[in-house]
Order: sequence, then structure tokens, then C-alpha cells
Amino acid sequence: MAFLKVDNVSIRGIAACVPSSIEENRDLPFYASPEEAEQVISATGIERRHICPDGTTTSDLCFKAAEELINKLGWEKDSIDLLAYCTQDPDYLNHPTSFVVHDRLGLPNTCMCIDFYHGCPGWVNSLSSVSSMISASGLRRAVLMVGDMCSHDAGKANREERPLFGDSGTATALEYDDNAKPILFNIITKSADGMALARKNGGWRAPFTLDTLKADIDRREGLVPAAETTDKMDVFAFAITTVPKTLKQLCANFYIDLESIDKLVLHQANAMMLKTIAKRLKIEMDIVPLSLKEYGNTTGASVPLTIVSECADEYQNAPQKTLACGFGTGLACAGVYFETSHIVCPHILEY
Amino acid sequence: MDLNEFIANFADQFEDTDSSEITAATEFKNLDEWSSLIALSVIAMVDEEYDVTLKGDDIRGSVTVMDLYNIVKSRS
Repeated sequence: MAFLKVDNVSIRGIAACVPSSIEENRDLPFYASPEEAEQVISATGIERRHICPDGTTTSDLCFKAAEELINKLGWEKDSIDLLAYCTQDPDYLNHPTSFVVHDRLGLPNTCMCIDFYHGCPGWVNSLSSVSSMISASGLRRAVLMVGDMCSHDAGKANREERPLFGDSGTATALEYDDNAKPILFNIITKSADGMALARKNGGWRAPFTLDTLKADIDRREGLVPAAETTDKMDVFAFAITTVPKTLKQLCANFYIDLESIDKLVLHQANAMMLKTIAKRLKIEMDIVPLSLKEYGNTTGASVPLTIVSECADEYQNAPQKTLACGFGTGLACAGVYFETSHIVCPHILEY
Repeated sequence: MDLNEFIANFADQFEDTDSSEITAATEFKNLDEWSSLIALSVIAMVDEEYDVTLKGDDIRGSVTVMDLYNIVKSRS
């Protein structure tokens, strides 16, 4: 069982940045009528999304978030021992993106870099690694960046995916702390069902040919109709059954009282799904923040983005007991419980 | 596994449909209230009550409540 109890590590701050350019779901070209657009919006809960313009990547967003966070914390650059980056959308195919931001932030060569490749469970999953490293290794301070720009692969003519995905970049600051309450994880993997969400062409299992490359570009640009590959019902079924189970197991294993939590922060997949999950956990929606109306499904970054966009003042001004869950890609489901006290949590930034 | 109990649990997922309307022979996709949200509630209910994970194909391939019952029964 992947239950992790990570001692002596505190989350000191969380920052998030989105591109300033916005795509309104009401303006998408493929709806036959305003009523059709409203139907989709009411089912997903997503009205608009922030989209990286050409030439901007998640590392621009993560850089801005990390710089603001480090400044607000007052951390000297040479006090940061580890810079980590989790994305499915790296700047380069053969160069870990943490190096790109390490250089841009002007961090010293005494700071190590590490990249993680994860989708929707990305923040929770990489947080388990980074916090464990600090707890066990003697590292003192780390910044974990998580960002994705999945809107760019959704396909402009894809009626199912284009209204969903938004781009963002986040930064989370972690520090060794003898007095920290443990950070607790439960991470579940169902890899046999995971290929439904895989993007196959262009990887080494299916290298691009001229034909598949052209087809992929045409799909992205919306020149050909999108193939609907993901069985949404199965992904939904996975989410509404596995997420409550994962979180209940986490609470049972570590004696966490579900009624004592201040916030349940769920991966922002779709409003209907999140309401079903909360109902099954018997948790009222007033402690379940939703960022998807303004930002859409921001994949791996959705948990920290939601904390920043919906609850920045609460996390800055008061202690918070947070239960969070990232789920999807893998398929995997990663639950975490952590307590914070007056963290640095600046309002959402734009790039 | 009890058929009447399954039908009652199935009917519980509906708000506006009278539970007396739902029997083993009901073609549930023809009910006015049937929607993807109800489908999800049914998947959640089956997971919780019977520890069986239904897939999209199971819902798509079923016509009557009895069809669903048989799938759940065969896996529980």
C-alpha cells in the first residue's frame, strides 16, 4: 500500500500564474446555438479558460509564480536546495524543464534539479516525492513547480475536449521543520485502465511519420474532425468510485477525522463529478472550492491553482487542514492531507 | 443478491420518477429523468452497495434494470 507519512516538512507557500489571454466557452465556433453552449457550461461548470498564446509555455507561468513566491517568502536564492518541475508539456523534448527555470531564476549551482512526468495527479504525486526527499535527506528548502498547457493539444475542433482545458503554472515552497505536522498520502494506481487517456503518436512506441505528424497538426488546428477516443463514462466511473475510496482509506489509515477538515480541494475535472465525489464523502460543497468556472481543467496544477484562486486569503490568514486529491492520468488517484499555518499565498498572477 | 433490493437501490437514484414506475423489466434509458448524471449515480451506488465497478459499456449494453442486475450479480 502506498501510504506515506512524511515528517518534519512544512508547506510554506503556494503561488499560481495563468496566461492573461482568455478563451470564452460561449464563443467557441462549433456550437449551433447559444443554448447548446449553455448546456455544456452547466454540465461542466466551465465558462472560460486562460490559454497560453503561441510562444508562451508553462515554464513562463511557473517561473513567474516561483519568483513571486521566493520574493514574498524572503528566501535567499542560495538557500534553495532543490527545484522540482512536474509537467506533461515540457519546453523541450530532451531537456528537463526544471533546468530552464533554474537558470531563469538565477539559482546557484548548489541547487539540484529534478523533473517529474505526471498528469492530473501531478501535484500530489510529485509533492509526495519532494517532501519525502526533504524529510529523509537533509535538504532544507525546495520549490516544486507544477504546470500544464493541455489546451494546446485538445484540438480546436474537438467539441468534447476544447471547452475543458486551461493552462497554468504553480509553485509550492517546502521547508524542513522539526515542528511540522506530518503530510499524509495515499496513492492508488490502476494502470490497466490508463491507456484510454494516452496520447500515442510522437512517442517512441509510435514515432511520427510524415502522415501521422500532419494528421496530428491538422487535428490540433481543428482542420479535421476529432476522433473521440476517451470513454468519458469510464473515466467518470473511475473518479466517482476511486476518489472517495482513496480518501476514506487515507483518513482511516492515519486516523484523520473527515469532519475536522477545513477544505477539500479536488482536481478540477468537471463540476458534476466533484459534486458527486463530495456527496459520497458526505462533505458539504461550501468547503469544496471550485476554480473551474474561470480556469477550466488545469490538470496537474489544479489543486494548488484552486487553493490560490479561491482561498488565498484564508490560507494566508488562518491555519488550514486540507484534504486534497489529484486523479486521472495513469489511471492514478493521489490523496493527501496536510496542515498549514499562515502560509504565503499571493493572489493569482497573470503572465 | 436480492433483485427487489437492487431495484429499490436503482430507483433511489431518481428524484422525480416514482419508484413504483421502476421494475425489473423497465427500459431505464426511456425514462424521462434518465441522464448521464443518473448513470453516474447508478455506477456510484453499485460500487458502494455491491463493490462492483460498472463500465460505460455495461450501461450502454443494458436495456432493462434486469440486464444491469445480471451484470452486477455475475461480478459480485
